[in-house]
Amino acid sequence: MPESFAGTKIPVMSAADIVTARRVARDLCERLGLGKADQTRLATAVSELARNVIQYACEGVCLIEDRSDSHTRRIRVQVEDRGPGIPDIPLAMTDGYSTSGGLGAGLPGTRRLVDEFQIESEPGHTRITIILRKPL
Amino acid sequence: MATPLIKLLHEHREELLDAWLHHAQSIWSGNGNYESLPQESRLRLRSIFDDIATLIAQTTPDDDFELNPEGALANHLHQFVTEQARIGSGANKTIGLMLSLKHLLSTRLFDRSEADAVADLMWLERIFDSLTQLTFTAFVDVREHLITQQSLSLLELSTPVLRLWSRILLLPLVGVIDTIRARQITERLLEAIARHEARVTILDLTGVPVIDTSVAQHLMKTIDAARLLGTQVVMTGISPEGAQTLTKLGIRFGDVLCRATLRAGIAEALLLTGQRISPVEERRS
Ligand SMILES: Nc1ncnc2c1ncn2[C@@H]1O[C@H](COP(=O)(O)OP(=O)(O)OP(=O)(O)O)[C@@H](O)[C@H]1O
Ligand SMILES: [Mg+2]
Repeated sequence: MPESFAGTKIPVMSAADIVTARRVARDLCERLGLGKADQTRLATAVSELARNVIQYACEGVCLIEDRSDSHTRRIRVQVEDRGPGIPDIPLAMTDGYSTSGGLGAGLPGTRRLVDEFQIESEPGHTRITIILRKPL
Repeated sequence: MATPLIKLLHEHREELLDAWLHHAQSIWSGNGNYESLPQESRLRLRSIFDDIATLIAQTTPDDDFELNPEGALANHLHQFVTEQARIGSGANKTIGLMLSLKHLLSTRLFDRSEADAVADLMWLERIFDSLTQLTFTAFVDVREHLITQQSLSLLELSTPVLRLWSRILLLPLVGVIDTIRARQITERLLEAIARHEARVTILDLTGVPVIDTSVAQHLMKTIDAARLLGTQVVMTGISPEGAQTLTKLGIRFGDVLCRATLRAGIAEALLLTGQRISPVEERRS
């Protein structure tokens, strides 16, 4: 059986798109019956990743999918860009590391907020995948 | 040279003006206004009519017609459009009004069926083309101006700094906090702190949808600046979920006082400034 998931693809090009992505994430959580705490942690994670895209890669896309099955409610978010890439991933994942004078809490904080976290990055392509899980 | 159009305007000027104003009145009434057209609008339309008549009398059908954008007609038209836009009337109404004058003139011209009327009709066409264009441009200008004004005042409205009590300020933050707004919020707050010699500032975040690292950093900068002016900051309105998320992100607001609700924050602020709100003593004599 081919996999097919209900997903929303949001172009990330301006600050307004961050707000849209956040709202889509929140709405999906709500539709799946997840509580306020989960809504907030996913919305915040999406906010961090989408803002990084705008800040470091100018533009990208954010794909938000419902990947629930009969045992687990599962939301997968993929944020992807064709920017410069992250040269040193462990360093970027360190609390307080920022090349832009930020708090440097976005990536490490996002990893703590979600249930699964994965970075793939090379020059010209960065993809970060996060998953929020809740057993039924 | 007295062309049929010039003759028409000369002989039937008042009657044509009346007919046009009558038409304006019916457009106005169609707007849901049952009163008569306001006197200023009538006067304005009258001057526009006079300007058009003058313009026609001073030119000839063969002239290369170009409407002087600084001239009296352009000016009157611009003023009229501005008034119309301010009361929320649509561009189509005003343009319709101009076109109704053209229609009126060309019908009457046609009815007289004199020689040369064709040249005059073409001439009318050209004049009203420019007038329509001018009306439209003026409308867009006015609207754009209004919109800019409104969005500026919305921006200001969304960051009010309230003097809550003697030496206590309240800054209720609502909506998305980006770099531009954060800078504006800080500026207004610092100015208010200095003006009111505030000792305590309550920063209420109830209306902020997501506190991510960038919002947090903006808030920290605002708080640092406020402290330099000698005010203490009490932060309120962070939801339980928001607090949880902030902890996960690893964000700490240093030694900023936090209270769950605005109410608790106000109590704290009063305490810090050595004031209190007490019930009015019942007087029994
Ligand atoms: N999509 C990306 N493309 C290229 N570099 C990135 C990307 N995302 C993050 N980085 C790099 O990783 C660093 C750490 O990112 P992180 O989001 O943790 O902190 P930050 O954005 O600098 O500050 P903030 O705490 O405001 O998020 C960034 O400073 C940047 O150099
Ligand atoms: Mg970041």
